[in-house]
Amino acid sequence: MVGRLLDSMTLGRKAQRLVTLIILIVLTACSSREVVVEGSFPTPLVDPVPVSVGILFTKEFKEHELIDDATGRGEVSWRVSTGTAQVLFWSTLFPAFFQDVVFIENYEDLQTYDVDAVLIPQVADVQYAIPLYTNVKVYEIWMRYNLALVEPEQLVDEESAAITLENLQPFAEWPLTAYGKTPTAFMQSDVDAVNLAAVMALRDAGANFITSFLRVPGVMDWVENPEEAQ
Amino acid sequence: MKRAVPAIVLLTTLLGGCVTANVDEMTFDAPVAGMADGSIVILGRRHAPDYDTEPDFIDCIGNHISRGSESISVIPERQFVDALYPWFEPRTAPLSIESVGRLMVLPSVANKLAELGLNYMIWIDGRTQDTNSSGSMTCGVGPTGAGCFGFGTWGTESEYEATIWNFDDGAEVGKMSALTSGQSYMPAVVVPIPIIAPVQDTACDSLGTQLLQYLSAGS
Repeated sequence: MVGRLLDSMTLGRKAQRLVTLIILIVLTACSSREVVVEGSFPTPLVDPVPVSVGILFTKEFKEHELIDDATGRGEVSWRVSTGTAQVLFWSTLFPAFFQDVVFIENYEDLQTYDVDAVLIPQVADVQYAIPLYTNVKVYEIWMRYNLALVEPEQLVDEESAAITLENLQPFAEWPLTAYGKTPTAFMQSDVDAVNLAAVMALRDAGANFITSFLRVPGVMDWVENPEEAQ
Repeated sequence: MKRAVPAIVLLTTLLGGCVTANVDEMTFDAPVAGMADGSIVILGRRHAPDYDTEPDFIDCIGNHISRGSESISVIPERQFVDALYPWFEPRTAPLSIESVGRLMVLPSVANKLAELGLNYMIWIDGRTQDTNSSGSMTCGVGPTGAGCFGFGTWGTESEYEATIWNFDDGAEVGKMSALTSGQSYMPAVVVPIPIIAPVQDTACDSLGTQLLQYLSAGS
């Protein structure tokens, strides 16, 4: 189609190539949006829970992204990368929320640090809505996490000297939901609005985690007696 | 064209002022003396499903009060919400002064609020939105240039309510509201000329002045 359009114009070969390139760039830009979520996150104002916890961010968690390909005419493909922001946000929250925190990167860390339990957050689902689809003048992001507290020994695979996530039996496991929105009136572009909605959703996830953690079945018993409750 | 410029400027000036404002005030406990070296925070409500109170409106009210009284220290909203994260997020923000009492049970929150020396917390709830629009405009590009022709008009309405909590007494001490509306116009003869009614700015001035009078009463 672009070729026919160019043939109908009186242009040199170089000019045709340049115009083709510009048209393709414009068409690509119009049909997809890419957001790498960025924001600054405050340290929570809490009285720390008196336990020592290892935090294990899985590869999927660190690299999480939402991909939504356009299926119809006029729709736009979206790629929303939340992984970096997830790690930054929870790395700020957990050390303030628990008395002692270590981040478990590998098998050696599990052997080195003596922690009461290991917390594994996982992103179960992220959904978004934009005014183009909903006719409501807000951009929205929903996030759903699955969190698990496990005994450190369960993660150790002695044979391969590596961390294993297979056959885990968490002593506490719970879902966590979060929601963030940005009104259209605040933003200049779709990308900025989705980014801000994602940042709001992360902050909401932290607020939900902090206010609900001690009510999770099994957690209070563990906090009161970390050595035995597991 | 040169003759048209003064007419356009005059029209802009005249039509730009087409805003009506109503301000209501209901105070239960007017301060007997103005605030001296006290601090306040102005926060926007963000828990409604379809709108948020605009952060720039909150900044505007804060600036209005800061300009009006040097003795009142206004803590910026973002700074306050971040300093007390996660207790003033949409999910957790107290909806009544009694809920603040429950927050104060947490030593870290009580210490932070004491450190900030907060006398008043003012919640603003509301928004500015366009109400109706009419008219049409056509724009075109040709070999000799580009231009538009037509006329558009739209209405804008601002509705805000301020609720004042006195931290020293632990009580809600008053409510104020501002309702402003205006009509904006955009005539276009080659170049579109937006004549925007300053509806939100008027609401900010009205509500800011009322709040300033309340906080400065007796001083």
